[in-house]
Amino acid sequence: MDETVRAVSSRSRVAVMSVETRRNFGTVRVPAGLNGLLPALILIMLFFVIPVLALLLRSVTEPEPGLQNYAALLGDGTYARVFFNTFLVAALVTVATVLVAFPVAWMLAIMPSGLASIIFGIIILSMWTNLLTRTYAWMVLLQRTGVINRTLMTIGVIDHPLPLINNLTGVTIGMVYIMLPFMILPLVGTLRAIDPMTLRAASLCGASPFQAFRRILVPLSLPGVAAGGLMVFVMSLGYFVTPALLGGTSNMMLAEMIAQMVQSLLNWGLGSAAAFILLVVTMVLYALQLRLVGARRTSGGI
Amino acid sequence: MLLDYDRMGWLRVALLGFTALVAGFLLLPVVFIVLLSFGSSRWLAFPPPGWTLKWYQELFADPAWLNAALTSARIATMTAILAVAIGLLASFALVRGRFAGREILRGLLLTPMVLPVVVFAIAIYAFFLRLGLGGTTIGFVIAHTVLALPFAIIPIATALEGFDKSIEDAAIVCGASPLEARLRITLPSIRIGIFSAAIFSFLASWDEVVVAIFMASPSLQTLPVKIWGSLRSDLSPVIAAASSLLVGLTLALMVMTALLHRKFRT
Amino acid sequence: MTHPFLSIRNLRKAFGAIVAVHDVTLDIPRGEFLTFLGPSGSGKSTTLYAIAGFQDPTSGDVLLEGKSLLAVPSHKRNIGMVFQRYTLFPHLTVAENVAFPLRVRRRPDADVKKKVADMLALVRLESFAGRLPGALSGGQQQRVALARALAYDPPILLMDEPLSALDKKLREEIQGEIRRIHRQTGVTILYVTHDQEEALHLSDRIALFKDGRIEQTGTGEDLYLRPATDFVAGFIGNSNFLAAEHLGTTNGTTTIRMTDGSVISGVRANGTFGKGQKTRLMIRPEAFSMERSPASAELNVEIVDIAFYGERRRIVARIAAGQEVDIRPTSAMQSQDVWPCSRQVFFDPAAAFLFPA
Repeated sequence: MDETVRAVSSRSRVAVMSVETRRNFGTVRVPAGLNGLLPALILIMLFFVIPVLALLLRSVTEPEPGLQNYAALLGDGTYARVFFNTFLVAALVTVATVLVAFPVAWMLAIMPSGLASIIFGIIILSMWTNLLTRTYAWMVLLQRTGVINRTLMTIGVIDHPLPLINNLTGVTIGMVYIMLPFMILPLVGTLRAIDPMTLRAASLCGASPFQAFRRILVPLSLPGVAAGGLMVFVMSLGYFVTPALLGGTSNMMLAEMIAQMVQSLLNWGLGSAAAFILLVVTMVLYALQLRLVGARRTSGGI
Repeated sequence: MLLDYDRMGWLRVALLGFTALVAGFLLLPVVFIVLLSFGSSRWLAFPPPGWTLKWYQELFADPAWLNAALTSARIATMTAILAVAIGLLASFALVRGRFAGREILRGLLLTPMVLPVVVFAIAIYAFFLRLGLGGTTIGFVIAHTVLALPFAIIPIATALEGFDKSIEDAAIVCGASPLEARLRITLPSIRIGIFSAAIFSFLASWDEVVVAIFMASPSLQTLPVKIWGSLRSDLSPVIAAASSLLVGLTLALMVMTALLHRKFRT
Repeated sequence: MTHPFLSIRNLRKAFGAIVAVHDVTLDIPRGEFLTFLGPSGSGKSTTLYAIAGFQDPTSGDVLLEGKSLLAVPSHKRNIGMVFQRYTLFPHLTVAENVAFPLRVRRRPDADVKKKVADMLALVRLESFAGRLPGALSGGQQQRVALARALAYDPPILLMDEPLSALDKKLREEIQGEIRRIHRQTGVTILYVTHDQEEALHLSDRIALFKDGRIEQTGTGEDLYLRPATDFVAGFIGNSNFLAAEHLGTTNGTTTIRMTDGSVISGVRANGTFGKGQKTRLMIRPEAFSMERSPASAELNVEIVDIAFYGERRRIVARIAAGQEVDIRPTSAMQSQDVWPCSRQVFFDPAAAFLFPA
C-alpha cells in the first residue's frame, strides 16, 4: 500500500496543521539545528536525488545524446493516447472522488462522535489494508462471472454480464475506492472548522437550505476541496498498481507504460523521458497544491 | 442550519443513507476477501458452495509464502527503525531550527512521498544495479527508508509542533541538562507521534509494491511481490487466504494504535 | 564590600536590528518581591529570560551575590521559574512533576518524598499528588508549577505572567496564594506582568518598563503618587492630562495657565520648564472634589454624564477646550443632581503633576 500510505500522512498532515499551532516566542535558543538533518539529507541526496537525476540524464543521453526521446514521446499517436488516457482517468477519478467524499465528510464533521468513530474505523481499515489485497478483491468482484455481475443478473437488471474490468470502469472504481479516504479525512477537518453559526446566520437572513449550501457551505469548504482534489489528481496521474491490474491494454496509463519500457523493452532512454514528463507534471501540480494549503494556513481560515 | 446535525430533517436522512452506502462500499472488498478465503470454490464462486480451510492449508504448505512474509517483516522492521531514528533527528531540526532554507529542506525530505513511485522505482533500480545492491536486503531497506522517511517525519514533527517548548525550558530551569530534558520530558511527551511514525513507516515498507517489483530477485521476494506474481497468473483463493491474514494484521495494528492512544491520552 | 543579592548591570539585548532591551540596570535585595511591569514589547520578558539563561544578552551582566551568571547554563543556575503557559510535564503525575527537579539533582528518595509532600502542602494540593496534569484546572496547574519551581529551594523565583491564562476570579485567588508563599518562604521573586493592578497588589517594588528601558523603579505608592514621567502616570492608575501653559516657577512654586485662562499655582513640576512652554497637567480622577477646601484650585467644567459605579460615581465632564475629564470624587454627588450643568470642581494643586507636552 505504498502509494496509499504516502498520501495518508500527507493528508493527515494537512488536517493536523490546520489545528492551530502554538508559536513559541522568546525562548528560542537553537541547539545547532542543522546537525540533526544530516542523516536525513545524506539518505535523500544519495539514494533519492542522485538516482532520480541520473535517470533523467539517461533520457537525453540514451541511446545517443539529444532530445530524440522526447520527440518520439510527444510526436507519436500511441504515446499521445497514453498521456490522454492518463489525464482522463485522473480527472474522472478526481471528480468522482470529490462528489462521493463531500457528503460523507459533511456528515462525519457533524455526526455524534460514537457513530463517527465507526465510520472513521471503516475508513482507516480500508486505507490500511494492503493495496494489492483490495485490488485483488475488486478483480474478483468485478470480473465477468463476479459477484456484482451475477447479482445484477439475478435481480434482472441486466441479461448479459457487463464488462466491468480491464477497462475504464474498472480502473475508475478501483481508484476511487483507494482515493476516497484521502479526500474524506482532510475534508472533515475543513468542514469542522466552519462555524455552524455562519449557516444559522445565513438561514436567518432568509437563505433556503440550497442557497445556504451553494453560497456559504461550498465556498467555505472550497479551499479544502481544491487542495484535496488536486492531491487526488496528482496521485492518480502516477498510479501504477491499480491501473495495471484493473485496467485494460487499450487504456494503459503513464506509470505502467514507464515500467514496461524499462522492464520489458529495456528502453531506458524512452522510459526516463516519460518518467521526466510525469515528474514535471506532478511537481508543478504539487507546488500548486502546497500553495492552496499554504494559503489556507496563513489565512487562518482553518 | 446545514451544520446542525439535529436540525437537518430529511436532508440528514438522505446524507446519512449516502454515508452508509459509502461505508459499505469501503468495507465491501475487505469483508468479501475474508469470506472468500473460507469459500470452497476454486473458481471463486460467491456465495461459495461450502466452507473450507484448505486455502489456508495450501498457503502454509508453500514455503515461498512464509519466506516472503518473513522477508517483508524483516525489511519493514529495519525500515521502521531507521526511518524513525533519522526522522526523529530531522524533525527536531525542522521544527526547532531557525535557519534559512528550512522550508525548502522540509520540502526536499517530503518529496519521496509525492513523486510517483514508479519514477523512484526505476531510478533506484538502475542506481542499485550499478552499485550491486539490486536484489539485496540492504538495498530494499535503503529504498524503503527513503519512501518511509516522510511518514516518520510528518507525525513526529506534528507532535513536536504541538508540544510547548516552554515545557522543555521548564525542565531545564528545574536543573535538567538540555539532553536530559529532551530524553525525559520531550520524547515521552511526543511518544504518540513516534509510535505513529513507527507504524506508518512499517506499513510503508510492508505494503510497498512498485519498488519491490523492480528490486526483487528470485531469492529475495517480499510479500507484495509474491502476491503480485500470483495475481498476474491467476486469481487463486490462496491469495484470498493470504490477504485475509493481512487484513487481520491491519486490524491488529488498528487496535494497537487505538489502545496506545487511549493509554496516552489520559 | 557587600554585593547586592541580584544585580542587573547595563543589560542590552538586540535581535538583529531590533533592540528589545536597551539598557537595564537594577539591584534586587534578597527576599524582595519585584515586578517588571510594562506593555508588551517593553523588554520585561526579555530581561527575565536573560536572568533565566534562555537568552544571552548582547552586552551587560547579571550577577548573583557578585558572581556573573552569564557563563552558567540555564540548568545549573538553580533558578526557579513559572511560565506563562502551563508547563507541567504532561506524562508525569503532579507528585512526579514536583519531584522532577530533585530527581535530576539525584537527591535521595526519602528527601524527595518529604520535599514533595511539603511543597504540595504549601500550594494546598496534597490530595492531587497522583493525578496527571491534564486532569487539573488551569489554576491548579499553575500551583503545581509553583510547587515544582520551589521544590529545590532556589534563591530566586522568576514568574513570567503566570496568571495571564486564568480568569479574573482565579487570578485573584492565586495572587493571594503567591503573596502567602512569598511571606512563608522568603524567596526572592521577579514577577513579570502587564497588569498594573496585579503589580500593585503583589509587589514590594515595581520596575516599570518602556521601550527596553526602566522608566521608574519604586513601590506601588511611589509610582502612583509620585510618577517620574507622564508614561508612568498614564500607565499606573487612571489619569487626566489637561493642556496648560507654564507661566513660571519661583521659589519652587510653579504657576500655570489652563486653556480657559484660569491660573493655578503650586502644582508639582516634573523637571524644569521654560516660561510660556506648553505643558500637560496630570490629575487623577479621584483627586477631584466637588467641594471647595482652603488649598484647592478650581476648574470650570460642564458635566455631561454621571454614572453609578457602586462605591463611587463616575462623572464625565468637559472643560472649555472641549476635552473630556474623568472625575471620580470620593464625596459623591447627590443622586438628585441633574446634568448637564456647568459648575466648578476642585483639586489640590499638590496632587497635580506638570509634564512636558
